[in-house]
Amino acid sequence: MAVATIETSGLTRSYGEICALKPIDLSVPEGEWLSVMGHSGSGKSTLMNLVGGLDRPTAGALVVGGQDLSTLTEDGLARFRREYVGIIFQQHHLVPYLSALENVMLSQYFHSVPDEAEARHALERVGLGHRLKNRPGELSGGEQQRVCIARAIINSPKLLLGDEPTGNLDHKSTLMVMELLKELRAEERFTVVMVTHNEEVAAWGDRTIYLTDGVLVREERTRS
Amino acid sequence: MIALKLVPHLVAFFGMATVALRGATRRGMLAGTALAGFLVGTGFAVVSTGSVSGQFSFSLVRALLALSFLLFCAVSFTALYQSLGGSLPVGWLERLSSRPVSRSCALFLASAAAGAVAGCRLGPAVPSWVWGALAAAAAVLVLAAVLLESRLPAGLSTSRAGYLALTVAFLLFSASWSTRLDLFAPLTMKVMKFTHDFVHQFFESMLIPDHLFIHSYLWGYIGLLFGKEVGFWGGLIIWFTPVVMVFLAIGLERLPSVAHLRQGAQRRRVLAEAIRTRRMRLVLPGLALVLLASAVYRSLYPSVEYWDPKPVPVTANAGGEIFLPRKGEIDLMDGKLHKYVFERGGKTARFFVLLTPSGKLTVDLDACAICKPDGYGQAEGTVLCYYCKTLIPLETVGKPGGCNPVPVPFTEQDDGIHLSGVTLINTWSGTVQSTTRTTEKGK
Repeated sequence: MAVATIETSGLTRSYGEICALKPIDLSVPEGEWLSVMGHSGSGKSTLMNLVGGLDRPTAGALVVGGQDLSTLTEDGLARFRREYVGIIFQQHHLVPYLSALENVMLSQYFHSVPDEAEARHALERVGLGHRLKNRPGELSGGEQQRVCIARAIINSPKLLLGDEPTGNLDHKSTLMVMELLKELRAEERFTVVMVTHNEEVAAWGDRTIYLTDGVLVREERTRS
Repeated sequence: MIALKLVPHLVAFFGMATVALRGATRRGMLAGTALAGFLVGTGFAVVSTGSVSGQFSFSLVRALLALSFLLFCAVSFTALYQSLGGSLPVGWLERLSSRPVSRSCALFLASAAAGAVAGCRLGPAVPSWVWGALAAAAAVLVLAAVLLESRLPAGLSTSRAGYLALTVAFLLFSASWSTRLDLFAPLTMKVMKFTHDFVHQFFESMLIPDHLFIHSYLWGYIGLLFGKEVGFWGGLIIWFTPVVMVFLAIGLERLPSVAHLRQGAQRRRVLAEAIRTRRMRLVLPGLALVLLASAVYRSLYPSVEYWDPKPVPVTANAGGEIFLPRKGEIDLMDGKLHKYVFERGGKTARFFVLLTPSGKLTVDLDACAICKPDGYGQAEGTVLCYYCKTLIPLETVGKPGGCNPVPVPFTEQDDGIHLSGVTLINTWSGTVQSTTRTTEKGK
């Protein structure tokens, strides 16, 4: 049996009187691709933020990669994010005045030390070997997202989080990005947690959970 | 006042103890060792300045400090050589120095040296309450060092050379607060003397061409070597070279091989950790650099107030004799330096009268035979040559040689001192004036 990468028990997150995530028990084995679906405000991003160490739970236990995130200090959480997690956002969040290569190297810099050859190789892996010197504004949405993927995987994370990574992309670009993620996952063997509205995108995962008003209402295995 | 006097020495001791405890396993034992060393050193210095000749204690402590500086030079050179890939047969020494007992011994000696510097500053007549206060302050500081060390960043790693750099820098910083223990001023003097001797020997060996046409130009350049600046800059280079070598040694340390690591992120993480550790190891030598710089500043601008009275003009009687009453407007027996100036035939001579610790009066020129006649000031049981900053113990004033004031023949009678004006002028002209002429020509 695979070791659980993510283990939650009664995980809760409230913002004042609003309970964004009601007690959730969840276990994600190492290497699994978990899709999280739900309507706006259902708690998907809240769950992802908690799992990625971007936010702290109000109550409950949250263990990711053997570390109890609720006990970590701010520095500890930063170290956890730096060394354990890669994140792909819907809005890309690339630095607009840096080239694609520099955006990837920036991630290396905050992790350890920059290595241009390695960053170049990462961009080549996502099919952007010819766009190294281009700034985000000079790239299409799909290309920007591929830069984000290169940036997310450059530090060899054990856990890759995607918050609507294909939300802004057309169908063709979506397929390209998902195919790329699938290939990279097969090579790097990281665990994926992907938040999406799109049933088709969710179907790329091994399992899908459905959230409604912060409650895990359903889960189904999409692939055996 | 005494407490204020001891502050820099206690600060230096505190710093040394804190650094020594870094990464140590038996901190309690080390802290006790540091305290014992400091008290033993202080006790030794206080007792020896009182019982043996005061000059002996100062010379001994200064020799110890010089020895520690030489050791630092050797270790920094070795560290740099090894960083550059060289290998030296010092493995046994490294093994020996890494033993806990070696660490304790080193700390004891360093603390004893720090204590001896403080003891020399205290002097022989120390009230018992000062002893108690000093011991209590040292104990409190050792405890504070233990507490501070435990709160220092975990990543603040040290290297042997870095530790030695900071320890020696603390000692030299502490010593710089006493003009008689300061090492920088004598170092500049040695450099100056070496340069003078070297040029002289070079000239003697006929290696400098003495042609009529280039003669004056050449001497113009050679004159630069006889300036005070040569000693200062030369001393500065020697003073900072070892710590700069430690910087280089740490900076040039090879990063670990990561070729065996498959994952790029893991390779980078190992390299980043090595770079971070290397950077942290520069902290101690950096602090040592600051301390050494402040020791130079203390040496150049000591807070000691030198007794330097304005020379009183004196005249000779019809027989050409100068008379200075033993007790008059000026009390020659008060142990202070009393300066006079005598003029005859367009020539001027400055001289002083001083009661030495042996109870005898001495009359000397306010100049020596080797330096520019900038004169002398008196403080802390010494007179200081303003030109080369040499400290001359009061016991040796009246004896000729080196940078000692040039003695002037005189006769001492019940009523006062009698000396010949002609002899005085001739002595000045024969020794001091020649130096001045050379310098003026160099200008």
